[in-house]
Amino acid sequence: MRGITQKQVRCPRCNTVLTCSGDPGEIVNVTCPCCGEHGKVTFERSFDATTTVIEIQKLTKTFGKFTAVDNLELTIYKGEIYGLLGPNGSGKTTIIKMLTGLLQPTAGTTKLFGQTLPCKSIMNNIGYMPQDTAIYIDNTVHENLFFFGSIYGISKQHLEKREREMLEFVDLFKWRESLVSTLSGGMKHRVSLACALIHEPKLVFLDEPTVGVDPELRAIFWEYFESMVKKGITVIITTHYMDEANRCSRVGLLRQGKLIADGRPSDLKNNTRTTSMEDTFLALAGRKKP
Amino acid sequence: MKLRRTLAFSRRALLQFRHDRRTFAFVLIMPLLMILIFGYTFGGDVKNIAVEVVNQDTGLSPGISPLLPQELFIAKNITKNFDRNTLSLHENTNINNARQKVHDGKAWAAIIFPANFTQNFLTTLTTQPRTVHPKVEVYLDASNPTISTAIIKTISQTIQTTLKELTTTLNKTQIEMPITIEQTYAYGGSDTRFIDYFAPGVISFAIMMVTTMITIILFVNERRNGTLQRLLVSPASESEIVAGYALAFAVIGVFQSIVVLVAAILLFNITIIGNIFLALVVILLLAFGHQGLGILLSAAAKNEMQAVQFIPLIIFPSILLAGLFWPIESIPDYLQPLSYFIPLRYGIDAERSIMLRGWGIGEIWVDITILIIFAFLTLTASVLLLKRKD
Repeated sequence: MRGITQKQVRCPRCNTVLTCSGDPGEIVNVTCPCCGEHGKVTFERSFDATTTVIEIQKLTKTFGKFTAVDNLELTIYKGEIYGLLGPNGSGKTTIIKMLTGLLQPTAGTTKLFGQTLPCKSIMNNIGYMPQDTAIYIDNTVHENLFFFGSIYGISKQHLEKREREMLEFVDLFKWRESLVSTLSGGMKHRVSLACALIHEPKLVFLDEPTVGVDPELRAIFWEYFESMVKKGITVIITTHYMDEANRCSRVGLLRQGKLIADGRPSDLKNNTRTTSMEDTFLALAGRKKP
Repeated sequence: MKLRRTLAFSRRALLQFRHDRRTFAFVLIMPLLMILIFGYTFGGDVKNIAVEVVNQDTGLSPGISPLLPQELFIAKNITKNFDRNTLSLHENTNINNARQKVHDGKAWAAIIFPANFTQNFLTTLTTQPRTVHPKVEVYLDASNPTISTAIIKTISQTIQTTLKELTTTLNKTQIEMPITIEQTYAYGGSDTRFIDYFAPGVISFAIMMVTTMITIILFVNERRNGTLQRLLVSPASESEIVAGYALAFAVIGVFQSIVVLVAAILLFNITIIGNIFLALVVILLLAFGHQGLGILLSAAAKNEMQAVQFIPLIIFPSILLAGLFWPIESIPDYLQPLSYFIPLRYGIDAERSIMLRGWGIGEIWVDITILIIFAFLTLTASVLLLKRKD
């Protein structure tokens, strides 16, 4: 059985939402009243399973003969950190691009906050950090943050406050007036993340946000993501790092455009009788442990 | 379309130019350099053409003819009257040596006055029917048409001037040319120089070049760096992006035009008789159209390297077919229709009409309409292009 919130779980057989008591990390016994399924549930990260943020149906994307994303079905709830995991070319970025409306799907639909894409009116609520640095290198850090902030219509006063908060979070306040082109790769990445979050989005897409970020800052990033989730923000993240996968509320394992598994990290590990996410992935991908 | 968002785009782009000194320099110095280089090198007529003069004219002593109160060497008078700015004269006594110098490329022409030049001239004045003709022989290296044309033009002009002088010397009205051309000017004047004709073209060309190139590079970078993706995943619309950049280019275009115009006025004292604001409006239309073209071309370039390859593709047709240096009338007939498809043609034409002829919107409305259509089409197409999804 899958843990959904502190108060709610969902039956894997009939998908009914069950109410029970418990805290994150605690194992509880539940019985499904409609189908009789019963078992133990571990609460990992909490999220609100009653509010659907992303609803993906039969999403497919082909480039010529190549199928990049194959018939993806997925629902993501409010307050989740959903991790898309998979090797290079498995379709992670293509999925993110379709979910943000950058790519037109070949087939299938995506609903964000109940609105079918493409839909410009919900874009105010969305934050996006592309894989590329995606900031203006011939502008200063401050100019970048102010520019992206004004696009979202944030008032000047509030923008000044947000800029300070974001720069303190990514630890770049003293670099505020520096040209981005003079910053190191990791610093540019941090500016990029700050630009994606400046307008306090409710749904955030982060395409490999921690690549090239040192371990210390990576930990800070993850703490921040977790604090965002506590505020009810939903985070979709792609990553190569298996240790990061453990910190997600749920992960989807992708291979050749197909979702080969989807669930809480601990469930996936239990189901495959493995102890690390690497092994889980290899087991699910049908490969043997090296 | 929200004004605040549009302004945010313009502001950011302009701030970028402020930080990126080299691009800023390109924007300002490129047109300035063009007007300077062309103004000084191309600006006037050709100068200091090496020419050999062989004067074998023996002249006439006074009293030989009733017309002649004093001795007369017409060839000497002509030589004296040559414009020393245009021709750098070297007097030679040997015809063969003078011809050899032309042959060796040391001189562009050898002008030879034969021994009986003055005598023949006077004979033609006094005897009817004319049996002899006074001749000047010009041995010419015509490999450079501009130079040979200038030499011939100088010689015939000088002969005319000298003949006019002779009228007073000889106290006779007979030698006046049988036909005189009376020039009055609709536009321009005898003091209109090539630089006056060229300056409006340079301004239009510079705006076109800078706007197209910078737009291509800006949008190639927007795509490649992923900033465009971020913008598309935001409430900003494609038309706000295009309008924002258009506004930035308008600011740059006006700034650029002012700098070039001020330079042209201060350094070359060019003539502007028309409405300067109308001239700026034409500049802006030209900039908007080429911004749209730049965005469209940027889609065809994967990186800055490929973007740079568009430069000759844009420069050459514009230089050769839009009437920048040479009038469109000088293009072969079968190529002339091509010039109708080059928007710069209309920009240059309108700028010249405004600055040199003092024309207003009533006279140049065709140019303006075509530029508006061009801008509308390319900007609309670029909005659609940005909206297109794979």
